[in-house]
Amino acid sequence: MVQKKICLLGAFAVGKTSLVMRYVNSIFGEKYYTTVGVKIDKKQLVSNDQEVTLMIWDLAGQDDLTRLRTSYLRGVAGYVIVADGTRPFSLNTAINMHKEAREYTGDVPFIVAINKADLREEQWRVEAEQIKALEDDGAIIILTSAKTGEGVEETFQLLTKSILEAESRNKQLHDNENTQ
Amino acid sequence: MSQVLSKIFQSMNAAVFVRLDEQDFQLLTLPPIWLSQFCSKDLVTGEQIRLEGLFPFLDCFLQEAEDLWDSKVSSAHRSGPWIDFTPNGEEIPLEAMALRRDDKALLVIQDLGEEYYNEVVRLQGYRNGALSQEELEREIEEQTKQIRIREEEIAMKLLSAASHRDHETAEHVRRIGLYAEVMAEALGWDVAARADIRIAAPMHDIGKIGIPDRILLKPGKLTEEEFEEMKQHSAIGADMLSGTDIPLLEMASEIAMCHHEKWDGTGYPTGLSGKDIPESARITTIVDVYDALVHKRVYKEACTEGSALEVMQQMVGKHFDPELYEVFVTNLEKMREIKENYSDPGLG
Repeated sequence: MVQKKICLLGAFAVGKTSLVMRYVNSIFGEKYYTTVGVKIDKKQLVSNDQEVTLMIWDLAGQDDLTRLRTSYLRGVAGYVIVADGTRPFSLNTAINMHKEAREYTGDVPFIVAINKADLREEQWRVEAEQIKALEDDGAIIILTSAKTGEGVEETFQLLTKSILEAESRNKQLHDNENTQ
Repeated sequence: MSQVLSKIFQSMNAAVFVRLDEQDFQLLTLPPIWLSQFCSKDLVTGEQIRLEGLFPFLDCFLQEAEDLWDSKVSSAHRSGPWIDFTPNGEEIPLEAMALRRDDKALLVIQDLGEEYYNEVVRLQGYRNGALSQEELEREIEEQTKQIRIREEEIAMKLLSAASHRDHETAEHVRRIGLYAEVMAEALGWDVAARADIRIAAPMHDIGKIGIPDRILLKPGKLTEEEFEEMKQHSAIGADMLSGTDIPLLEMASEIAMCHHEKWDGTGYPTGLSGKDIPESARITTIVDVYDALVHKRVYKEACTEGSALEVMQQMVGKHFDPELYEVFVTNLEKMREIKENYSDPGLG
C-alpha cells in the first residue's frame, strides 16, 4: 500500500480540522476549537484501483500570530487549500498561502475547498474575482461543508487521484528520458 | 548525563536522545511514560532506538534536524508543537528540539502538557476576538454598501427630476455615471472614489436648473447673449454642490464647474487647460460627448459608433485629454455594454 502525505492549509477558523474530522471520523462539531501546531490523521482509501494511506497533516490556521511553516510541507504529495465561503478575507489568505506553498512544493496537485457551503443561501460572500484568480492558477475548486459532508469525500478522492496520476505521468516522463 | 540534568528533563516530561547514525538514537534520560506508550516495549535509559516511523511528524522534522547537526551550529532548532495519538487514542502534545552539544547531535522530545493547552486557550481567545471583529467589519461594510445604494438611488431620482426639464432621461443620467466609473477603474482609482464619480458625474448639468426656460428650451441656435447666460449653468451647479466636506459632493462640484473646460484652454467658465482641469471633469467631458453622439435626441438622430468616434477623434488634444481618450477607446467594449444595457425606452 502506498502512503501519501497531504496538508490542509488556510486561514484560521475556516474548518480545516472539521473537514478532516468529517472525512476520517464522519463527525462534526458546531463549536470552533483552534488548532495549535500540527495534527496528523490517517485515512485509507482506494483510488484508481490502488490502496492508498493518506497521512493528513492539519496545519494550524494562519493569522497575525501564526504563519505557515513551509518546512511542514516537506515531502508533501498534494495539498488542500481551505477557505470559508462566508469570509471573503479567508479566500485572499488562501490565494496567498497557495502562492507561498507553491514556491516550496513546486508543481504538486492541490484542491481549493471553499467550506461552509451549507451557508451559501444566506451568508455566501465569495467574489468572482477571487475565484478567477484561483482558476487562472489552475485550481480545482470544490464547495464543501464539513457540517453536511457535501464535497468532503470528493475533495480527498480527487486530490488522491490527481496525486497518483501526476506520479504516473512523472514516472513515464522519467522512463522516457532514460530510454532516450 | 548528570543526575541533575536527568531529573530536570524528567520533570519536563522530556526524553533526550543522542544521534548514533542516520537511523539510530540512544535514549539518555529516563523514559517518560508517554514515550513507552508509543513504543511496543518498555524502554530503559541507554537503550538504542529507531525513531523513524514512530512519529510521522518527527520523520519530517528529523530531516531539518540533520541539516542543523551537519552545520555544527550551537543554537537549538525547535519543531513547533504537534499532536500525536497513543495507540489508545490519547492525545499528546509534543515538541522536538534539535541541538548540538560537546560535538554530540542531541534530540529532545517533550510532552508539552499544560503549557500547550494554555497556549490553545490564549490563541482561542485571540481568534474568537478576531472572528468577532471580522464579522463586525463585514456588517459595517454591508451597511455602508446599503447606504451608498440608497444615496445613489436618491441622487438619481433627484437628477432625473431636474433633467426632465430639458428632456434628459433617467437612463442618460445613469449611463454617464457608469461610463465614468469604468474610466476611473481603468485609471486605478480606489473603490470609494470610483463609487463617488458614478454618482457625481451625472450631476454635471445640475446647474441648468437655474437657467430660464426661454433659453434652456429654446429651439434653434442661442444668441450670443443667451449663450453667455447658458454658460452660467457650470458655476450655478458648482455653487449648488459646494460648501460641504462630503467627498462625493466636492467631486460633483468640481465636475459641474469644469465639464465645459477644454484641454487646449478654450473652454469655459475659467479657461483652464490641460491637467489644471480636474481629472473627474476631463473624464465626464469625454463620456458625456460620447453618450450625446450615440443617442437620439429631439433635435438629432443617433450617430453610429464609428461616426461618433470619428467626431471625437477630431476633438482629441483640443477638447479632450489625449491620454484619457486613449483609456476611453481601450474600454469601448465596456462603454458599449453600458449603452446597450441602459438604453432609453423608445429611443435609438
